[in-house]
Amino acid sequence: MIKNVLIVDDDKEMLLALREGFKRYQESFAVILAEDGLRALERLKRNVISLVVTDLKMPRMDGFELLAHIMEHYPDIPVIMITGYSTPEMERLAREGGAVGYISKPFLIENLARQIIATLRRESEGGTLHNVSSGMFLQLIEMEQKTCTIRLEEKISGQKGILFFREGDLLDARVNNLKGEAAAYKIFSWDEVNLSIQNGCALTENKIRKDLQPIILEAMRQKDETAPEEILGGVNEDAANIPMPRAQEAPKPINTIKEKINKAVGLACGLEDIYQDNSWDDHLKRLSRIGDFFGIGKLTLGYVSKGEANDYIVLPKDGPTIIAVNPRCPRDKIIQVLSE
Amino acid sequence: MRELFNDILRIDGVKGVLLLSFSGKPIFKEFTYALKEFPEKFDWRALMEPLAGMRETDLIFEKGRVYIRRTGLGYLIILTGLFAPVAILRLNCDILMPSLVPSKRPSVWGRFLRKSER
Repeated sequence: MIKNVLIVDDDKEMLLALREGFKRYQESFAVILAEDGLRALERLKRNVISLVVTDLKMPRMDGFELLAHIMEHYPDIPVIMITGYSTPEMERLAREGGAVGYISKPFLIENLARQIIATLRRESEGGTLHNVSSGMFLQLIEMEQKTCTIRLEEKISGQKGILFFREGDLLDARVNNLKGEAAAYKIFSWDEVNLSIQNGCALTENKIRKDLQPIILEAMRQKDETAPEEILGGVNEDAANIPMPRAQEAPKPINTIKEKINKAVGLACGLEDIYQDNSWDDHLKRLSRIGDFFGIGKLTLGYVSKGEANDYIVLPKDGPTIIAVNPRCPRDKIIQVLSE
Repeated sequence: MRELFNDILRIDGVKGVLLLSFSGKPIFKEFTYALKEFPEKFDWRALMEPLAGMRETDLIFEKGRVYIRRTGLGYLIILTGLFAPVAILRLNCDILMPSLVPSKRPSVWGRFLRKSER
């Protein structure tokens, strides 16, 4: 995932020299330029920036003002300050203001690049994942239940976003000029992403105040509403083409299962359909033999993903009963409820 | 190959890993407890038909779980206890996927270039 570094300096020659010099590092980071603090604020609104390198003395909004703004509104973004008029007092102020680095002019581009790369490395200290489905977010949260900052890039559009988690709670999100809940809906609607995990979260205030589940489901709803009809038609067609003929439905157990899931997980549980289907019988019998081999008893439930529009939960008893679910459903919760 | 599965085997509740080829032949096995019989003696080929077309399968039995994941080499079968952290397990499998692909022999050109670089 290529990271964006915003370089702010009123000296145009300096900006161009840095842009040229950093071309060698384009596989590590991309450069966005701004000629003063106010222009930097615009760039910050429009792009997901991973690091800011700013000059101190600039017209309109100087480096210290920009640093203060970043610390207040984008506390996750590290700032490196550069200056041609360095004094120990200035360096102290920059460090106290939150700057992670302080470099005096003149400097070698390689030295600055090294510092940028070392700082950016912290962004992915918790790991990097490629081509991850958005359902993975939920798994990550379930798994981590911890404090981290996750930066994501949508694979197709290249859009970038950021999620802030503290002890498993989603505190805030940011994508382009969207923040909070609106940004979270946008990010959770992405199908396939690359993401990097940074340990820790610079935010403390919870700006979303909602559980992750309703946010994911609302994001899916919003996405479905904005999807063109032909695409929706295509998805339904896919679902109808699943090569498993349905048998006659038996309403009683089906209603019980539906009630059980709705009660435990809520109406927005990703449930698409429930039906009984004897064509699974033979496959289930064969899969059950794994339990015999490992000595772990009878098969009570199966979750099957074919990478299609729906996943399936299969209950072998009295049926088999097939529950078609959205692949982004709270899978483990539903399995837990049905296994009880 | 064991190194590939170290992270999975270290997860709490994971009792063993078995990698089957698409024809049902065990390629790798590692279990943390003694099995009743060798995996080679079980008719895994009978499972190939129900597993065909499945990307992942999570089977919950009375006394344990079996997570099956289709890989580039075949099917990865992971035996766990009932309360193993399955989300972590799935994530580790996702991370492992790029490593479980058939190895490519370097082309003649590739070998030639590599030698000439020395």
